[in-house]
Amino acid sequence: MSKAATADHASDDNYLTNTKGIMSWIVTLDHKRIGLMYLIGVMVSFAIGGTLALILRAHLYNPQGSFLSNDAYNQVFTLHGAVMIFLFIIPSIPAALGNFLVPVMLGAKDVAFPRLNLSSFYLWCAGAVFFLFALCTTGLDTGWTFYTPYSTTTSTSVIAATTGVFILGFSSIFTGLNFIVTVNTMRPPGMTWFKMPLFLWAIYSTAVIQVLATPVLGITLLLLICERLMHIGIFDPAFNGDPVAFQHFFWFYSHPAVYIMILPAFGVISELMSVHSHKSIFGYRFIALSSIAIALLSFLVWGHHMFTSGMSEITTIIFSALTFTVSVPSAIKVFNWLATMYKGSISLTTPMCYALAFMFLFTIGGLTGLFLGTLTTDLHLHDTYFVVSHFHYVMMGGTLVAFLGGLFHWWPKMTGKMFNETWGRISAAIVFIGFNLTFLPQFVLGSRGMPRRYASYDPEFTGLHRMSTVGAFTLGFGLLVALIVLLHSLYRGKKAPRNPWGGATLEWRCSSPPPYYNFERPPVVGNPYYFGDLEYDAKSDDYVFTEPDREVVPQKLEPAPQHVDSKKDA
Amino acid sequence: MQTLQNLSFVLADVSDGFWFPKTASNFGTEVDFMYKAILWISVAFFVPMMIYMGWAAFKFSKPKGTKAEGKATHNTALELAWSVGPCFLLIWMFYRGSVGYLDMREPPSDAREVQVTAQKWSWLFDYGSGIMNPELHVVKDQPTKLVMRSKDVLHAMYIPAFRVKRDIVPGRYNILWFTPTIATDSLTDEEMQWKSDDPAEAGNILNQGKYFDFFCAEYCGKDHSNMQGKVVVHETQDDYDLWLESANRRPDDQTPEQYGEFLYTTRGCKGCHSADGTAGQCPTFLNSFGAEHEMTDGSKVAVDENYIRESILNPKAKVVKGYPPVMPSFQGQFNDDQIDSVIAYIKSLKK
Ligand code: HEM
Ligand SMILES: [Cu+2]
Repeated sequence: MSKAATADHASDDNYLTNTKGIMSWIVTLDHKRIGLMYLIGVMVSFAIGGTLALILRAHLYNPQGSFLSNDAYNQVFTLHGAVMIFLFIIPSIPAALGNFLVPVMLGAKDVAFPRLNLSSFYLWCAGAVFFLFALCTTGLDTGWTFYTPYSTTTSTSVIAATTGVFILGFSSIFTGLNFIVTVNTMRPPGMTWFKMPLFLWAIYSTAVIQVLATPVLGITLLLLICERLMHIGIFDPAFNGDPVAFQHFFWFYSHPAVYIMILPAFGVISELMSVHSHKSIFGYRFIALSSIAIALLSFLVWGHHMFTSGMSEITTIIFSALTFTVSVPSAIKVFNWLATMYKGSISLTTPMCYALAFMFLFTIGGLTGLFLGTLTTDLHLHDTYFVVSHFHYVMMGGTLVAFLGGLFHWWPKMTGKMFNETWGRISAAIVFIGFNLTFLPQFVLGSRGMPRRYASYDPEFTGLHRMSTVGAFTLGFGLLVALIVLLHSLYRGKKAPRNPWGGATLEWRCSSPPPYYNFERPPVVGNPYYFGDLEYDAKSDDYVFTEPDREVVPQKLEPAPQHVDSKKDA
Repeated sequence: MQTLQNLSFVLADVSDGFWFPKTASNFGTEVDFMYKAILWISVAFFVPMMIYMGWAAFKFSKPKGTKAEGKATHNTALELAWSVGPCFLLIWMFYRGSVGYLDMREPPSDAREVQVTAQKWSWLFDYGSGIMNPELHVVKDQPTKLVMRSKDVLHAMYIPAFRVKRDIVPGRYNILWFTPTIATDSLTDEEMQWKSDDPAEAGNILNQGKYFDFFCAEYCGKDHSNMQGKVVVHETQDDYDLWLESANRRPDDQTPEQYGEFLYTTRGCKGCHSADGTAGQCPTFLNSFGAEHEMTDGSKVAVDENYIRESILNPKAKVVKGYPPVMPSFQGQFNDDQIDSVIAYIKSLKK
């Protein structure tokens, strides 16, 4: 088959159009379609969580609170946190972007277990429905942490919510398991571990944590349900249980979980910094190995959420020491990304703008972690707005901004459409300004003694709270602009070329959007960060690989049967 | 415009302690020092990094299609240097933080002990010999040790001016100690944390002088944000003794009803029982005196002095139908005069 024919064929029959009708989506086994459905799911969740956040901020405009009762405030902040954590941020990059990209980056046709993949999506939906159930019935007011004995005694729907989280946990495990097997067994010949794109390293390390840590959450929540229903006496002191034990259980999952949230973001940023600097990533091995180091160390630091809870002195000090060790691999990554820019050929595209915003925000998030790892200062700052701000800098300034950067970066590949660059950059700028305006004042609030989860506050905190509220609405507006830019591109966007940014990883070698089977022929695996043979072609606004395809002569494949299959799938 | 005003608010504050409330305990200096040290270390990393990033983004910004000039893919020496270098600073932070922490965990043996009870959503401090009060009173330069317990869920004692915090876990005693270094009377108006002119709040304060805030820092349900109180630091032991004497008595200028209302708001009754008929987790006090209530065992009980007294001291003995048996016992926390005052107050709630 000639080259031109391949291209034509791909362009009029891609994964979005190869089969039609709602059923072809509902029962699809195509990782790309599942990724897209996840994407819609997490974006809807984010919109819900974000609206709740704006309600909170609007309420906190006045020291006595504005319009919510205390009970309502507690329910709203719980739902905000729980929706953002369990429905948005954990599945965001791995399940939405990861599902789409992992097989394509491997040059493979799909993940190892497509059916498991689909069931993971439906489990996610089921878990989400349970959350909405909790929302529409009595409302949950425990905070996303479900601390006992409050959670074993409150009259709100803890059981529905934990069941939801339990199901979501399985969804997360399925996704993780799938990626581990996919990366282990389906790497193409020539792609050794150290030739994998860093995004895959990040997803792989994340998957390891998902599979190892999530079951502990499942067990914890089951025990919590048992405690509520049968008073088995493990967490509730009224029945001789120990509330601190619950915290150990809970954070044993939830601390690794924060790395489930951030590691994929590291992977995205590694790709973005390198591709948009058109220069090899600096320190590949250090970045790859630090992902693994973080995945392992993340299991050893859960106690730093409990420095004030009454652990023994020696335990506390050990956890403080371990906490400092995790900061090292994160710092290594940031330094390497900065070095990647040096003497590059930087294009300040929308994804790059988001990546630079990430660098700024994540660094602040990481550095403020040092205040919390140091015991003396933590005793003052724990459970104040300082902590709220810290985790928003890492989770929102980090993961969310990286997710947006990645979304803009791979959007042309996923949808086949280019978006408006000018407005994309404007959205990044508004998000950046709004974010800092929202959360910088919260550091000051925290060190001045403003406790978190307060529905009203002392008058001396008013000014800073108001700045924060104004910032939150700015931020919300910026995110709306980003959404409009993306949606607009679907209707008005130019057709995307194969490789609009000049990336060297395999996904840029298939057409945009990719055909059902991703690749007509197994692509040639090279160095994912070698940009020497990519030439910009102004006419098609595309980057093309200049080297002739190194076909191994006797290995001409017959692509024909595959297409027959793809039609049958509907 | 609003934002501008907010900004000037922040800037105006820079001069007198931008980051912290005034330090008022033996731990303050160390905590503030560590905070500022880490802050400056962070700034020393962050600012050059961001200047470099901005510079690079500008300097190496090239038209589409330009090839990168640099070819470097790694530099092991450099990478090891920036991996290992910062570790020394981290070790220092860890070490100094841990040493400071150990100091904060070891109360001196001569520390004055105060028993603290936290419950949804109030605090009670037991000063010994039956003296209880919702305010924390301590003496300047005297090490004070709080032995804290919770009657229901997790709470946490947080005194920002002292830079201390400790969770209060039901089923355990958790200990917190500090030595106050500033008497609250000596605070200037600006240094005062509390600037509320909300009369309802002010009415609840026994000591109308100056004080530091303390907060509940561990989320504990509906009125978590109201679970605050005042720390009064007396200049001398004599001032303290004087206060102690007056603390547990009905002030001469208050009627039993007024004093009963004060106890009702400060001792935690208000968290559950409304005085205006609002239905809640527990029966309202409005019109309750003299009414007849049906109990969980089906019997009918008239609300009289004896029933109220029993409910305060032994609440699980008779539980009103339709309500969970959640009320804690107040045995030992009220003296007879106080119980009488509460009864007088409940009697007065008629509409
Ligand atoms: C529009 C942007 C956002 C705003 C204005 C915002 C604001 C808030 C506020 C006001 C709280 C309650 C603070 C308290 O009293 O404890 C909160 C808590 C929280 N937020 Fe956000 N938030 C935003 C985005 C996010 C995102 C993107 C995430 C996660 C990916 C997130 C995760 C959390 C978590 C985990 C909590 C703690 C919930 C808890 O304490 O149970 N937020 N946020
Ligand atoms: Cu509390």
